[in-house]
Amino acid sequence: MQKKIVEFTNILRKAGVRVSVAETLDSFLALDEMTLDHRDQFKAALRCSMVKHSDDISTYDRLFDLFWSGFHDSLREQIKEALQGLGDIDIEALMEQLQSMLQNMDVDLSELAQALLTIDQNQLEQLIRQAGDETGIERIQNMLQIGFFSRRVLEQLGMTGASQELENLVEQLREQGMDEGELEKLQGLLKAVQDAMRKAVRQYTERELDKQNHDYIERFRQESLQEKSFYNLTEEDMRKMREVVDRLAQKLKNVVSIRRKRERKGKFDLKHTMRRNMSHDGVPFELMFKRRRKDRPKMVILCDISSSVANVSRFMLQFIYSLGEIFTKIRSYVFVAELGEVTEIFRDRDIYSAIDEALDGGGVINPYTRSNFGMAFHVFWRDHLATLDNRTTVVIIGDARNNYNDPRAWCLRDVHRKAKNVIWINPEAPGAWGFGDSVMDEYLPHTDVAEECRNLRQLSKLVDQLVL
Amino acid sequence: MFESVEAVQSALEGQKYVTTKNIATVVYLATKLQKPVLVEGPAGVGKTELAKVVAGALGIEMIRLQCYEGLDEAKALYEWEYSKQLLYTQMLRDKISQVLEGADTLKEAANRIAQEDDIFFSERFIVPRPLMRAITSDKTTLLLIDEVDKSDPEFEAFLLEVLSDYTVSVPEVGTIRARNIPIVFLTSNNAREMTDALKRRCLHLYIDFPDLETEVAILNQKVPGIEQRLVEDIVELVQRVRNLDLKKTPSISETLDWARALMTLNADSLEKDLIEQTMNVILKHQGDIEKAQTELSKLLSEKAAAQRAQEPVQSTPTSIKKSVLH
Ligand SMILES: Nc1ncnc2c1ncn2[C@@H]1O[C@H](COP(=O)(O)OP(=O)(O)OP(=O)(O)O)[C@@H](O)[C@H]1O
Ligand SMILES: [Mg+2]
Repeated sequence: MQKKIVEFTNILRKAGVRVSVAETLDSFLALDEMTLDHRDQFKAALRCSMVKHSDDISTYDRLFDLFWSGFHDSLREQIKEALQGLGDIDIEALMEQLQSMLQNMDVDLSELAQALLTIDQNQLEQLIRQAGDETGIERIQNMLQIGFFSRRVLEQLGMTGASQELENLVEQLREQGMDEGELEKLQGLLKAVQDAMRKAVRQYTERELDKQNHDYIERFRQESLQEKSFYNLTEEDMRKMREVVDRLAQKLKNVVSIRRKRERKGKFDLKHTMRRNMSHDGVPFELMFKRRRKDRPKMVILCDISSSVANVSRFMLQFIYSLGEIFTKIRSYVFVAELGEVTEIFRDRDIYSAIDEALDGGGVINPYTRSNFGMAFHVFWRDHLATLDNRTTVVIIGDARNNYNDPRAWCLRDVHRKAKNVIWINPEAPGAWGFGDSVMDEYLPHTDVAEECRNLRQLSKLVDQLVL
Repeated sequence: MFESVEAVQSALEGQKYVTTKNIATVVYLATKLQKPVLVEGPAGVGKTELAKVVAGALGIEMIRLQCYEGLDEAKALYEWEYSKQLLYTQMLRDKISQVLEGADTLKEAANRIAQEDDIFFSERFIVPRPLMRAITSDKTTLLLIDEVDKSDPEFEAFLLEVLSDYTVSVPEVGTIRARNIPIVFLTSNNAREMTDALKRRCLHLYIDFPDLETEVAILNQKVPGIEQRLVEDIVELVQRVRNLDLKKTPSISETLDWARALMTLNADSLEKDLIEQTMNVILKHQGDIEKAQTELSKLLSEKAAAQRAQEPVQSTPTSIKKSVLH
């Protein structure tokens, strides 16, 4: 049983459900407390000890059925079909007759032959699983191997040998004077059961393939989502990415706040303690500690919202605002040629609709113009330079494709002088910077960090660096 | 404690809590393995109630720690009882002067006081808060850490320590170890996701909105004497409404409130006007109400069509039923 569970755990893992070793052990302990004859209790016990994210429950349910019950049912289905196909012979009567004849005969049958003869479904299931384990069925990788592995399992089962044994048995029964009509029925029955067994083995192999593949499709989707270029996203991708960003941001927030907690326990603060304890006649009941507060950075974010860059801006905004409390202050601006502040929009609206509105110009700029970075920076320089100080990190998102306008790099130079950091996020690869109408090379000297960012993986790495 | 999963189920049903196999299994394992349970799910599906009925079924005390933003260790564990400490200092004033007698410098005086300070920082002056109470209780208790997702991640880290070894350390007094390991339930609405470390410590239970049968059973449990037809009407409608894209999806509490409201109005089945007048019991936002009304009209015309198909001749004008859902 434990081996079976470990195998199941591996399949869950492959499907992207994280199950730790400790949790696998917990599931053993849980099962020790249970009687295993109720499938739904068994399912609940495994789940509550191994699957801790509600998103994973549907995956678990699917895999559970695939792993623990699917084959069980399909074997029974096959046998039922085979027996129905025989028309109306009285199987029970046949079995009884067989039973009584066998009692007076000296036959020695292998496990498999016995199970086939008595149509012992539990035993047959057991034997198939065992043979599967012994042939290493979990190595199956693609459709083309189904035939091969099915044959291997049948060999391991000793199917040919069992067939032979059963034929011999029929001969022996004939010698013992069993009625020809009955014998024919028996032969028909045995053949049907063996056919069903072969089909069941094939289905078993197919299921194994399903199990091994399930994950990989899912994982592939996940991974490709992280790698997928922001340039061409479907609605569905956008929705999923939004969730992924949410989760990443949440995780980051936890990491940061736990780290801050450690930093916060400071030195004993005598002055504060005295003041605090005046009411106790100066007897120091409450000890006060200095809080070493690490500077929370201020954040200014300039987003290019022209269509080529809009999605980078979208997910960056989602990151920044989800991380909100990590920064003391966030101010956000959008630009194409004009530049305008959209901080207010984020103040009293839910984040997603705020982002949509900001990317649509936020009512402060016209989004349907041709990009002009020089002009946008100039406006920022003229109206907002004063808001920067040496605790401010400025993040600029844009491709620096300036439509051959004047880049006015000196504006960015002044921004760089006043701010703590200037970080530029560009969806184009560095190889393209400075070519054609890209003026990235002129802005580059006035940045501290400039990175290519075309997909979620790159973006989340950047955000990571930004806050840690 | 419970003998089996079935025993849990019947004990909780005895507390008027409609219990699925899944819930019963997790509760059973939690008591057997002495592991905390993290109960997640949307608002109002009976997470808090579950902890209450488990305590009720076992006849043990439930101690509740309600989490909120800014809850810190002190408020969860213990606080010093300053006024009592102060009172003692006042009363012991003479003694203190004796101790201080002959001390020439402030520093020396402070040193002498410091030598005595374990008198003031002893268990005598500790006011235990829920966590401490659950841990130091003579009897097994049920500790409910409610809405843990509202607490800060720092607090979660602290909880994790407590739930790992059931000891807490009070710097001035030493380590206090649990006399009885409490049964622990944590509930969360997923306002933020709990860390993997905490989740690893816990058994996990996800309670979703109930299916139709379960919700009917809950209404029958909680609103005795209600008309069966009314129950079915209510639940069917609520379940349909839940599938809409709403600002706030109605929970079991809202279903219960609605049923009680309709009982007071002496309704025995749902009629269009009645629904429209009382819709605000289950839905709080105007936009949601409008969406639900559209859905309602759809449901009604479907019902009417089904009815026409079923009983084409019988519906003479006098026998037209007023109920629109049947
Ligand atoms: N299975 C059930 N059987 C009987 N009553 C139930 C059941 N589930 C929920 N209820 C009732 O629904 C109401 C809401 O339950 P409860 O307050 O426990 O929800 P909750 O999940 O804790 O919600 P929140 O997340 O808002 O705290 C309670 O009145 C409770 O009695
Ligand atoms: Mg609650």
